Amino acid sequence: MKFKLNLVTLALIANAGIALPSIAVAEGYGLQNANTAKVKYDKWACKRCAIDTGVSGTVGVGVGYNDSSDIRSANAFAAEDEFAGKVDADLNYVSESGYRASVEAQNLGMENGSLDIDAGKVGQYNLNVNYRQIATYKTDSAMTPYQGVGSGDLTLPDNWQTAGSSQDMSQLYSSLNPMELSLKRKRAGLGFEYQGEELWSTYITYQREDKTGLKQASGSFFNQSMMLAEPVDYTTDTVEAGVKLRGDNWFTALNYSGSSFKNQYSQLTFDNAFNPTFGAQTQGTMALDPDNEAHTVSLMGQYTAGRTIMSGRVHYGQMTQDQAFVTSGYGYQVPAESLDGKVDISGINLKVVSRINRTVRLNASYDYNDRDNKTNVEEWTQISIDATTGKAAYNTPYDITTQRAKLGADFRLSRGMKLEAGYDFRRDERSYQDRETTDENTLWTKFRLSAFDNWDMWIKGSYGERDGSTYQASEWTSSESNDLLRKYNLADRKRTMVEARISHSPIDALTVDFGARYALDDYNDTQIGLTESKDISYDVSASYLINDDMMINAFYNRQNIDSQQAGSTNFSAPNWYSVIEDQVDVIGAGFSYNNLLEKKLRLGVDYTYSDSSSNTQVTQGITGDYGDYYANVHNINVYGQYQATDKMALRLDYKMENYKDNDPGNQIAPDGIWNVVSFGSNSHNYTAHMVMLSMSYKL
Amino acid sequence: MKITNKLKSLIPAVITAAVLTLGVSHSAIASKWDAKMTPDEVEATLDKKFAEGQYSPKGADSCLMCHGKSEKVMDLFKGVHGAANSSNSPMAGLQCESCHGPMGKHNRGGNEPMIAFGPDSTLSAEKQNSVCMSCHQDDKRMSWNGGHHDNADVACASCHSVHTDKDPVLSKNTEMEVCTSCHTKQKADMNKRSSHPMKWAQMVCSDCHNPHGTMSDSDLVKPSVNETCYACHAEKRGPKLWEHAPVTENCVTCHNPHGSVNEGMLKTRAPQLCQQCHASDGHASNAYMGNTEQGSSVGGNAFTGGRSCLNCHNQIHGSNHPSGKLFQR
Repeated sequence: MKFKLNLVTLALIANAGIALPSIAVAEGYGLQNANTAKVKYDKWACKRCAIDTGVSGTVGVGVGYNDSSDIRSANAFAAEDEFAGKVDADLNYVSESGYRASVEAQNLGMENGSLDIDAGKVGQYNLNVNYRQIATYKTDSAMTPYQGVGSGDLTLPDNWQTAGSSQDMSQLYSSLNPMELSLKRKRAGLGFEYQGEELWSTYITYQREDKTGLKQASGSFFNQSMMLAEPVDYTTDTVEAGVKLRGDNWFTALNYSGSSFKNQYSQLTFDNAFNPTFGAQTQGTMALDPDNEAHTVSLMGQYTAGRTIMSGRVHYGQMTQDQAFVTSGYGYQVPAESLDGKVDISGINLKVVSRINRTVRLNASYDYNDRDNKTNVEEWTQISIDATTGKAAYNTPYDITTQRAKLGADFRLSRGMKLEAGYDFRRDERSYQDRETTDENTLWTKFRLSAFDNWDMWIKGSYGERDGSTYQASEWTSSESNDLLRKYNLADRKRTMVEARISHSPIDALTVDFGARYALDDYNDTQIGLTESKDISYDVSASYLINDDMMINAFYNRQNIDSQQAGSTNFSAPNWYSVIEDQVDVIGAGFSYNNLLEKKLRLGVDYTYSDSSSNTQVTQGITGDYGDYYANVHNINVYGQYQATDKMALRLDYKMENYKDNDPGNQIAPDGIWNVVSFGSNSHNYTAHMVMLSMSYKL
Repeated sequence: MKITNKLKSLIPAVITAAVLTLGVSHSAIASKWDAKMTPDEVEATLDKKFAEGQYSPKGADSCLMCHGKSEKVMDLFKGVHGAANSSNSPMAGLQCESCHGPMGKHNRGGNEPMIAFGPDSTLSAEKQNSVCMSCHQDDKRMSWNGGHHDNADVACASCHSVHTDKDPVLSKNTEMEVCTSCHTKQKADMNKRSSHPMKWAQMVCSDCHNPHGTMSDSDLVKPSVNETCYACHAEKRGPKLWEHAPVTENCVTCHNPHGSVNEGMLKTRAPQLCQQCHASDGHASNAYMGNTEQGSSVGGNAFTGGRSCLNCHNQIHGSNHPSGKLFQR
């Protein structure tokens, strides 16, 4: 800002308050309000408008060498194997008559590749084809004695000897094989949009996503459990379509969104590794996520009346699921072949924003959201895990209705000084829960000061209280719960939050930021359950343009989340307590040096470090802890880009990831727990490197 | 220093890193009139000029007499905003003056203010944005007014540029840097032990949030948290026979989608997480001490070791098995 205010003038302006300069309030410079009476369009030839036609942009290829001993590094490098190749493209085509096409490819050929192709005529129609891949890797050394991994039927080797304890399974170690737990999503999409003259437009998009891989699951009999590899082979088809209409100061859209989910595997069958207990079960079956569909229609609109903007949306949706029940090994009558599950979702959102004058703007909104589970309630016999016969249970289709009302105002006290304040109300009504209704009232305010040259700062605070109808701890649960328990999503709560941020630029080239946040959730009426959660964080960052060619930046963040909870082993007042302390440190730094070697070379380095740790302590007379639970990771990327010719550039990247984590609860042998057959220790400790050479060519 | 200025210093760096070869660069030169007029005077003049409607005699040709030498200005014609052959483009209407307002006497030495955009404009974000919003009014932007970024005085031009063939913020790689330059908490979150794959830009902020505001909480792209999650995690959508109420109600009851010190983005690990709500008589109400001097260890029993409660209650997101009430099948 070139316009400087000193403290005195600032104070004067502040005192003058709302009576700032007497400029008429205008609605802005929207084209609809333009006074074009005097324009002589016939003279507007646009001769100097130099529209570039033809193909422009860059294409590139890259080859990489990946050195890693742990598949987890593929999250960062997007490469599973020793060698990787990629294609990048950023191409544009413009024709004289207004046709345009673009191709954008990033890391195509690697595990995080994406492609976007658009073609059409600006302002008339556009056709889009896209592809995107997301891959996440957990481990490649999960140990399992099961055969048939990747299928829906996991069997133990023929020579398997069951036992009462995993330590006594004589064939366990000789049967173990490592497997990879990773998930890959491949998404392909097609979209078309058409814009009619002036008023209307329409669009339709279709997307298919295939998600495949293995994820961790557990199968159990009574109190004995085996870790299992659950096959993932999902296909999700999504269609979105809509029609939009607009005028000068109104707008409306009718949208449809439909999604169909299909799981290749409806069930996972697994052999019992232990000696059969109750019911003599030697094989178990788990129902995997069933096929389902969801359809939503929404109508939204907006109307601008002078300085008041009114918006609204109504939506109605239905989620259905009707897959045949898994009955293998069940042995009881089912009331129906399939659930015929049906959930109606409906919502209304209304919002008004009105600028009263130059200083004051008011806003109000109301939201209603309802989930109505219309699935029939039936009686379902539960397989018994003890000597008694099967017990009957009724399903409890869950309904929830949420209403929210918000009122707020913002005041531009003067240029560079803004105050906001608001009141939020929220009511939730639930079925089959310990508490039918919860109400939350929140007040908040924010003050921002950017009037001083080179300084920008704000502070925000909020306080909210949640209470509600009578809490009845065991009304809908079959096993009786402690009367003093208050589930934290239903419990009374006092929530306090304060956050502040300061940004300062002593010189144009340097910016320093500092922010801090304090949040406290006090569950003031809870004796058993989560009683308090405190979240404190701060961060500082700086960026400095040393000169025209050199830039350096750094970032540091510290966060501490401390939670306290209480329990009772004798079904009355609390007699044990636990404290969970989470701490996170994140450090980031980067340096780049441009225009070296006759402006042909650019060098840079980016570094990040993060350390997440969590400490759990439980006290009941004595105190125990859950060991050292942590993950820390260093990432370095050093790069150099050389402009070899006018058209051709070469880039060399070196990436390094040093990762180490631990989970003492899982730092165990496959037979480390007598009644669990586990995947073994899946902690990580590796340093992985990747070198990638890429070449880009400018068309 | 304004947020807009912060983005100013960041975006060029990001752009240079991302598309060095394109030679895009921002020039941060404040307007001539700012030296002589206060921001309020500039705004008053612009209001007056806009109302008077003294547009140039020859449209863009008048402007380019002087500004045609600037590469940055001419880059407009590489993008859609410079496409004169489209009836919806500003170049097909009032041309340069569609956005920069009527020329008035600006051509006499350039002292009279025009509507300027971006970090060096003294014009309020609200006034700058009124220009963009007059065309960009649709279902993806209808909640801009009174929304999060509007309240924070973020101008469209703080993130977007139109004098270019390709707006850099629309690229996945630059998006993350732009968002996290203000949202530092989320920047730290994505570096935690578990998070959505944001750190390597496999996912980006706009996969779940609409920076232009929506009618939903936290500017989510779908009407509710769960519907946003279901867009990618459709297997959790159900409805299943046995629902776990807090799961059905809100995924963020247990998860922090931005990242956590715990695996699976869980707010707390089992068994503590589960024991915050389950205290029925029996194994759920016991104190699980972990490592003690009495000889117990956290990895030595099925209540704290392995997958803890999930060793048996594997189907914690709900079960569709007739005998799945306790989420074991």
